[in-house]
Amino acid sequence: MPYLSRIRINPLRAQSRKLLASPRAMHGAVQAGIPGEPDQSRTLWRLDPDNPHRPQLFVLTANRPDWSHLVEQAGWPDADGEHYAVRDYAPLLRQLAPGRSFAFRLTANPVQNTNRPDKPTTRQQARIDAGDRRGFRLGHRTAEAQLKWFLTRTLRWGFDIPAAPDLDGIHDAAGEPPRDIRIIARRRRSFGKGSATGKEAHVVMNSVTFEGSLRITDPDILTERLLGGIGPSKAYGCGLLTLAPLPEKE
Amino acid sequence: MTPPGRTSVLLLRLAAPLQSWGDRSMFNRRETRPEPTKSGVVGLLAAAAGRSRHADVDDLAGLGLGIRVDQPGSLLRDYHTVSDYRGRPLLSAAVSANGVQKPTSPAKRTHVTQRFYLQDAVFLAAVEGPGELITALEHAVRHPAFPLSLGRRSCVPAQPLVLGQRTGALEDVLRAEPWQVTKAVRNRWGRRNSNAAHVDLPATLDDPAGDEIRDDVPLSFAPTNRTFTTRRIRHTYLAAPTGLTPDPDHPPATGGHDPFALLGW
Repeated sequence: MPYLSRIRINPLRAQSRKLLASPRAMHGAVQAGIPGEPDQSRTLWRLDPDNPHRPQLFVLTANRPDWSHLVEQAGWPDADGEHYAVRDYAPLLRQLAPGRSFAFRLTANPVQNTNRPDKPTTRQQARIDAGDRRGFRLGHRTAEAQLKWFLTRTLRWGFDIPAAPDLDGIHDAAGEPPRDIRIIARRRRSFGKGSATGKEAHVVMNSVTFEGSLRITDPDILTERLLGGIGPSKAYGCGLLTLAPLPEKE
Repeated sequence: MTPPGRTSVLLLRLAAPLQSWGDRSMFNRRETRPEPTKSGVVGLLAAAAGRSRHADVDDLAGLGLGIRVDQPGSLLRDYHTVSDYRGRPLLSAAVSANGVQKPTSPAKRTHVTQRFYLQDAVFLAAVEGPGELITALEHAVRHPAFPLSLGRRSCVPAQPLVLGQRTGALEDVLRAEPWQVTKAVRNRWGRRNSNAAHVDLPATLDDPAGDEIRDDVPLSFAPTNRTFTTRRIRHTYLAAPTGLTPDPDHPPATGGHDPFALLGW
């Protein structure tokens, strides 16, 4: 039974600085909140810095987690209020039906796979020369490519993006109305992976946060994506799609 | 700053596709401030009144000025190159013994210049002063002697430019004036902010006790003797009426994305 958690992070604690700087450290802290064996089921998380002074961590876990270690190291252990909230995710999954609309937010890592890069690095060239036909995973780095990556895949994920309601009468070059989706954050993350030295031990990823509204076309596929995540780098804070009520219109 | 007696406030709506308010631009890079300068507004009033470049502008520079930023707009960088159409080298600043400008050495054939503009910005400028002068200036702006522009000759103002005269303190007048944006902008803002009745707009006011200094008060616009002095200003936020009616059933949203709202408490 899945659970969604929300944990408040105190950005002034030494431990939280480490967590906010490195998705790898955050992944470790998230995994530490789950008592079961690691890699038994997919854990998804996302950091929402709507207010950068009060970041919130959302985590979707298969079993009921405990976050007291995060509160002690990276929260306000003695403060009033709710340190973290854990809720059953099933009420949301029961609401999914074809044609229903929700507001969504997703932080993803858009990539493409190719075995013929335009400008191969020396390392990639060496692999090509050695006759290795395995593809390379390359990150999309422009906002246009990142948005296209998202919009061409939405039907595969069980939803589509309707036209933006408050941009009536506006069309793009192809005569299509703009979709109700915004990129609210784009970030290039670069962090070390373990104590080993060398190129292999360093991770560079381009994460991008999408926000907008969606309309469900296939609830079963969407349920699978909500629980299993979208795109690569799921350990590093990407892939958690969350739904919320649509904002009130006039 | 203003003599005793009836003072009045003239409201100008400074809106246009392009505006440019330079205060210390030099040479080939002509920048713009994010909001109108006092020399720009005084120059507009002087042009409307038909004053020549050499005329005295002390009375206009002594008026109190308040600027409210109704819509900040965005910055446009305009890239120019300038060359001599005959293909000759450009002239240097140095002159020969005959007083003729020398060509650049080594020969330079192209100047790269950059001009900066504000796109799609709307400002509300309030000019405070003695009643008779303000009335004369309002008449002058409605019947200008020279073409009016917003900071640069190519930036033609959009209508309406004059919103009329008000009485009262400069800050109160600026606070009471409705938000000067288009209906579409106001409605879009209202959808995101639950149709709140007031919007906080940044404003800059002349204030002898202010803690910031601007070097944009004109002493003379004479082409060979352009001089400026400083003024003290103060920044504040003014809650201006939006003209929208808030719906009591829908309190202002937090603005964020709350996935817990669907999970049932």
